[in-house]
Amino acid sequence: MIFSLRFFMAKEIYDSEIVSPWRSYLPGMLAIIGALVLLGARIMIGDSFMSDGSLMMIALAFYILAALFQITNLYAPSEMARRIGLVSAAVGVFFNLSSWLVRWVAAYDRELAMLRDGGNMETPWIFRYIPFANLYDLSLAFAFGAGIATLFLARKKNYQTLAAFTLPLAALILTLARFIGDEFIDLPPVLDSYWRPIHVGVAALSYGVALVCFAVAVIYLLKDRLKVEAMAIWASIFSLSVIGTISKFSVLTEGVYRAGLFLPVDGGGKPFSAPFRLELPMVGPALVVAAVLGVAVIVSFLLYLYNNSEAGRKIGHVFLKLFFVAQIVAIGLLVHGIRSADDVLPRLQEQLAAEPAQYVIAGRALAERQNLTVAEITSISPIQFEQMGRSFLQSNGDALYASLNTNPVEVAGLITGVAGIFFVILFAFRTERLIEALPSLESLDELMYLTASLAFAGLAMLLITGAIWANESWGRPWGFDSKETGALVAWLTYAAFLHTRISRGWKGRSSAYFAIVGFLLVIFTYLGVSYLLPGLHSYA
Amino acid sequence: MSASEETIIREGATRRRSVPLTKKVLDLLSSVRLGVVLICILVVLSMIGMLIVQQNVNGFDAYFASLTPAERYVYARLGFFDIYHSWYFNFLLLFLSLNIVLASIERFPQAWSYIVKPKLTATKAWLLSRKYNSSVVSNIENEGVTAEAVSNIFKQHGYATTTSTTTMMSYATDEEGNRDYNRMESKDAIVVFGQRGKWNRLGAYIVHISLLTLFLGHFVALQTGFDADVRMVPGDSTDQIQMIRFELDKKEKFNVQLPFTMTCTDIEQKLIDPRGSISVTNTLDWRTQLRIDDPEYGVTIADVSMNNPFSYRGFRFFQAEASRIGYARSIQLELESQEDGASQSYRIPRLGSITTDDGMVIEYDEFLPDFVFGPDGRPDTRSGEYNNPVAVLSVTPKGGERTRVFAFEGGRADNLPVGAPKVGYKWKLAEYEKSPFFHVLSIKYDPYSGAFIAWYFGGFGLMFALSFVFFFSHRRVWAYIRKGDDGKVELVLGGDTNRNHGSFEQKFDRLSKDINDGVGSEAGPVAKE
Repeated sequence: MIFSLRFFMAKEIYDSEIVSPWRSYLPGMLAIIGALVLLGARIMIGDSFMSDGSLMMIALAFYILAALFQITNLYAPSEMARRIGLVSAAVGVFFNLSSWLVRWVAAYDRELAMLRDGGNMETPWIFRYIPFANLYDLSLAFAFGAGIATLFLARKKNYQTLAAFTLPLAALILTLARFIGDEFIDLPPVLDSYWRPIHVGVAALSYGVALVCFAVAVIYLLKDRLKVEAMAIWASIFSLSVIGTISKFSVLTEGVYRAGLFLPVDGGGKPFSAPFRLELPMVGPALVVAAVLGVAVIVSFLLYLYNNSEAGRKIGHVFLKLFFVAQIVAIGLLVHGIRSADDVLPRLQEQLAAEPAQYVIAGRALAERQNLTVAEITSISPIQFEQMGRSFLQSNGDALYASLNTNPVEVAGLITGVAGIFFVILFAFRTERLIEALPSLESLDELMYLTASLAFAGLAMLLITGAIWANESWGRPWGFDSKETGALVAWLTYAAFLHTRISRGWKGRSSAYFAIVGFLLVIFTYLGVSYLLPGLHSYA
Repeated sequence: MSASEETIIREGATRRRSVPLTKKVLDLLSSVRLGVVLICILVVLSMIGMLIVQQNVNGFDAYFASLTPAERYVYARLGFFDIYHSWYFNFLLLFLSLNIVLASIERFPQAWSYIVKPKLTATKAWLLSRKYNSSVVSNIENEGVTAEAVSNIFKQHGYATTTSTTTMMSYATDEEGNRDYNRMESKDAIVVFGQRGKWNRLGAYIVHISLLTLFLGHFVALQTGFDADVRMVPGDSTDQIQMIRFELDKKEKFNVQLPFTMTCTDIEQKLIDPRGSISVTNTLDWRTQLRIDDPEYGVTIADVSMNNPFSYRGFRFFQAEASRIGYARSIQLELESQEDGASQSYRIPRLGSITTDDGMVIEYDEFLPDFVFGPDGRPDTRSGEYNNPVAVLSVTPKGGERTRVFAFEGGRADNLPVGAPKVGYKWKLAEYEKSPFFHVLSIKYDPYSGAFIAWYFGGFGLMFALSFVFFFSHRRVWAYIRKGDDGKVELVLGGDTNRNHGSFEQKFDRLSKDINDGVGSEAGPVAKE
């Protein structure tokens, strides 16, 4: 008879064990095999088959459904909820991967039709069309990376609760993809390289693992009894940062929110981002109210944390819920404002008549897109900038339209802020029961280390394959392009995480903070660099 | 006892002595803590470089123009516009390299001892203090036979085993079980040691060597090589290329002499839709053909296309840019005779010529995509777009004079003097293959293949080493086997690993179960000492 001391020390280890190794892989394997079967159906049926966009929306629905069941299982443990959550997650991964694969075929069909239409009988190789061409494609793959990593972890019964935290994040990535828009881009020839699937594939998987590492870090902090109020402060700071920076800082400085506008381009494809923004009624004030409530949350909880004010804690939680509602209202008004903006030109003209300085800003933006030299730009007077803005509006004003896709990062940022606050409210609800349902600190710490190690190795592969590709295509392996540097910074952060663990014995909470910072840097590289900074990767 | 365990005990027992300054400095330079601090500084500087647009990035001019004079002055003085080439950034990389080297040297002997001096023996108490341990009473009465059985089970689980005997000295106990400190007695025990993946202990050092190879290769490439551009117009020859140096908003070009002469013989642009423009989005590939005349090595024909560079004598040629001015790689002419109305068709490549059946020589001189007469009355192009394409030809009839002829697309200039029939023919541009006026090739000179060594050896080495480090681990197991005074053979198992504890737990449990099934009796567990 065997006698294990560990049995008494950590009973849950047995709960977390994989009962049957091959069966534990079944959800992930079925999702992948199913997606390949669906791909075969798409090839046979042709373009009358479901579009990749529809499949992506179904995946999003299943990710949300899975997360809801897993959350339910946390508070009211039920075998049925757990099973439905797991099956939904697998179905979500199936649709997520199917969407990506169907997009591959759709991109191939699209370009082949263009080639044949132009009398070109050439058939480029299939990897030219692999959906790793823009941020939408990468988002699909990123969410899949997070989904499959979750299923892999869910092999251990004890880790299945993690899905309650990772799948909402995967759902957020897909929501962002929805706002980015699924237009195909005409692939620049430099991207037609066999290194692209390798480089971007590694990016998607390592980003996915980093997301899981982040979720584990947050759960660790919760399990380690980091006060929910402290989490609320950080979540509120994030939301306030988003509110403060969107619409080119106009919400908190002018009390208005202006949405970006699109100008369609000839022959379809990704529309042109117009240099003007349209003011949406009520959205600015709603966001200002939300921001005030956010500040109130921070002040109340600071009073509680530093002065031990019980009143501060109680009122802080009330403000937190109000902050959540106010943000939802603001987002609702924003979506409604964009959807109902049929009369763009007259409204824009009215807005510009009241504030002609916006013509100058638009003219400057147009000039900056023309790659002029410093001397050329400085030689243009404000009146000339204004004239450029006016000419643009005169020529294109009728065609301008508002869309949710014009500012994907802004909308996704607001939704992420709301999701963050939602989770904090959730954590504050029956916290003890929640903490009890989570895996032990030791196993979470071990999992955090494992996922951080994988993310570190994955990001290293990402950097190296990118450098080799750049060396093959440009003879310039490393140029400190903003996306390269962003990935390097994230990698160095994970390096610091692993080395502090070795040298300082930093485990648990310190490691969790590092993991959170590492993931935020990954997200900055993924989104911020593409939308905010110039560079070679601005297409993705 | 392993080297690391001995070290811990010795350090704890040693009295604090004054440490020489050189050792203190070396300890600091080789500390992981310093490495982490340097990494954090590197992160901060890299982020500054991300947020402040660098001078070699497209859009820098607009960004620079948007800054105030004070911002420009401060950023320029601090080297923020070219932070990755600043002295302090390079110094930081050098310092980090030194830290990696010293830290590796300091820690290597300890890691090496795991490989050359494995911990073959263990005491029962030590094994029971391991995180992973279990005990069982053997159903075999002989210790040697039990050890052999355990060794076989270890081997079945993939462990390389070593069996040794250890003698433990301890104080004797009297009949009541109290220790008698005046008497020592020895007890023999067999220890079966098993391990797998011992080389994993060296993984971190392979990572560091790869990283240093990467740094060094990149440094050599930067110091001994350069980047340059050359404009390739079919028919043009050059033995010079242009190097660009950035100085804030100014770009200075320098000519660099080549040891050979390059002649562009052809440029091609494969379009998705041949009816469309020559923009990047309608392009499948660019291809430039060169002839290299080298006084040392003779003539070489080179072909450079996108993602398919050409290497020659330490120079690598890459497709970099294409002119936006449209041209025609070849033209298809239709000649309609003024005498009998008969038509003839000829295809002429760029810079090429043909001779017709009646001995007329037609030379393809120039292509203007958007024909217009310039202010000086000479033919010119209004834009780079194919709005009004015309092929400019030199036609020499047999025995006649050389005449300039304009062949317009679709007879667009039928009613204009410039489009009037010449040399007895009506000239029409029937078809043309679009291509740009010129290509720009970028040239990377890397005489010692520093970039190749850095990224293929260092980079792939790093990928391999990180996979080796994180996907594998060094697993060690011990079985302590001793016959007790009651004649029963007790067996204590212990194990440890340097990473992937979750996976090791399961494997250790399976190993314990197999040992229990193989040699265990129903005598029950042995209490921890």
